[in-house]
Amino acid sequence: MNQPYRPAAGYGLGWLLLGLGFGLLLWFIAAWWDTTEPASNAQKLLIGLGFLLVVWGIARVAHQFVNTANPVVGFTPAALTLLAVLVGAEALLRAYQVPPGLVPTPSRVLSTFLEVREVLLRDAYQTVVLEALVGYLIGCSLGLLTALLVSRYVFLERGFLPYAAIFSSVPIVALAPVLVKIIGIDWPSKAVIVAITVFFPMVVNTFRGLTEVNPLSLDLMRSYAASEVQQYRWLRLPNALPFMFNALKLGTTLAMIGAIVGEFFGANGQGLGFRIQIEAGRFGFDVVWSAILVASVIGIAWYGLVAWLERRFTGWHVSYR
Amino acid sequence: MRLSPNLVPMLVVALVVLALYWPIMYLANIPAAQRALDTGAALPCKTAFECATQLRSPVLPSPQQLWNGFANLMFPLNSPNAIPINAAVTALETLVGLLLAALVGFFFAIGMVVSRAFERALLPWIVASQTVPIIAIAPMLVVLLGQYGVQGWLPKAIIAAYIAFFPITIGVAKGLQSPDPLALDLMKTYNANNWQTYLKLRFPASVPYLFTAFKVAMTAALIGAIVAEISTISFYGIGKMLAENSRASDVVAMWVIMLSSAVLGILLVALVNGLERLLTPWRCSSPEVVAVAGQARRAVRREVRL
Repeated sequence: MNQPYRPAAGYGLGWLLLGLGFGLLLWFIAAWWDTTEPASNAQKLLIGLGFLLVVWGIARVAHQFVNTANPVVGFTPAALTLLAVLVGAEALLRAYQVPPGLVPTPSRVLSTFLEVREVLLRDAYQTVVLEALVGYLIGCSLGLLTALLVSRYVFLERGFLPYAAIFSSVPIVALAPVLVKIIGIDWPSKAVIVAITVFFPMVVNTFRGLTEVNPLSLDLMRSYAASEVQQYRWLRLPNALPFMFNALKLGTTLAMIGAIVGEFFGANGQGLGFRIQIEAGRFGFDVVWSAILVASVIGIAWYGLVAWLERRFTGWHVSYR
Repeated sequence: MRLSPNLVPMLVVALVVLALYWPIMYLANIPAAQRALDTGAALPCKTAFECATQLRSPVLPSPQQLWNGFANLMFPLNSPNAIPINAAVTALETLVGLLLAALVGFFFAIGMVVSRAFERALLPWIVASQTVPIIAIAPMLVVLLGQYGVQGWLPKAIIAAYIAFFPITIGVAKGLQSPDPLALDLMKTYNANNWQTYLKLRFPASVPYLFTAFKVAMTAALIGAIVAEISTISFYGIGKMLAENSRASDVVAMWVIMLSSAVLGILLVALVNGLERLLTPWRCSSPEVVAVAGQARRAVRREVRL
């Protein structure tokens, strides 16, 4: 399955194809920069050919990055894919002259982003720092506390956990309008939505980590006459860490979506979700895409931060050895 | 037939929550009722305590209000403003979305298991696609698809599929990689080709993971469908009802719709559970076995505490 793949022609051919394809696409974009009429069929075919060459090239060169340990070098194929999609989209949109009110070209989105970046950064502060981050911290800490309690008392486990499992199949978005009505349109209502969204995965995952302990280790703790606190400190909590980090990583995405959806039902004139809704209503899709860009970059960075913390704190775990 | 050991504690918790609901409801509503009285609104009640259960937009609705709201929104069954038909439309969108998501998920998962290069090139963007707020794409997608004559429930199903494909991709990829290396070696000694290894070993091994992934994806798809209905023009669906009543500030109706969508989510996941029991009976996830395992675990824990 995983034998290293060695193309007969070496990687040179792959890079050649890649360069050729990108060259073709970029040449077309440059030629069509100021034109306002659709391209001819032959030119559209040329774009298709260029994109195919790029994909083929990536498929050939990606193999040499498979076994590298350096994350930056390992990211090269993904970066190439993104570049290919962006350049391909730009060329196609220009070839068909799709109106920017429908789908803006990537270059247009970039220039719009530079224009409106201050507004978007203020929106991002409201959405991410006030709503998502505060809600995330509150929800995760409450989840951890609840999991500790539930794992300690069997009665709570039996009475509470089944409800937590049921809650995981409830669409939380339906809560958003009600909570916004109750708490008001300022940021705390969205923080509460985020806290509720991240709470249940945190409880369920942490509980599993706290209870799925090796019985032999528990026996060992008992033969050392470890107290309950010591048992939690030295055995159960370390065992739960990988599970907790899974929930924390999942929570980053849930928090972003929760905050943005929450703003749909009422916002105080700021926030990424509010901006997206307003601009989508006016067909200002270049601003919408810029807001998506900001939200995605923040979401990915947040996920990466938690993943980094995970490696830092659970580096001893089997899955990293 | 033995009763589940969870039953009594679950009932107790439910009763405690219900018993706490009344005082909390009064606590939350009395200030609002007082304010309403102070403004001199024509209310059919004298004191703030009485008014707390009759507010037009209560902080927490009283059980009586919830019941009335439920009765209003449930019937007639085929009315476009009642819950049943809207819930059915949303369920249909969710199920079609899940099906689409399964197709896409299988494609990506098989690609990632077969070729590490494919994984390197695409996995970061598959993860990133989940941090993109789908709501933002929803109106755009609807306009785009509308240009090609795709309208109504299909765009919502596509948006549902967009969020549901991720858990399926990850679950199937995990499942396909789950067979024991020894079992893979055995296939090799039988001189099985790649295709046979997939058909006879990897696919069957991935089934349990598949169902776990489907349960997560079902909830995700439902959320996607509801969000899509909210943020696009729609004539049917739970999301459309939510948006309408949110604009009309009908708080009781919003509570009723919220509770019904919770029930819908639970029913849809129960559907996957039923399918799982039907298709993988050998996995003995029957309640008895789980209960016994739980008892054994608790026995260990109790012993350790002594």
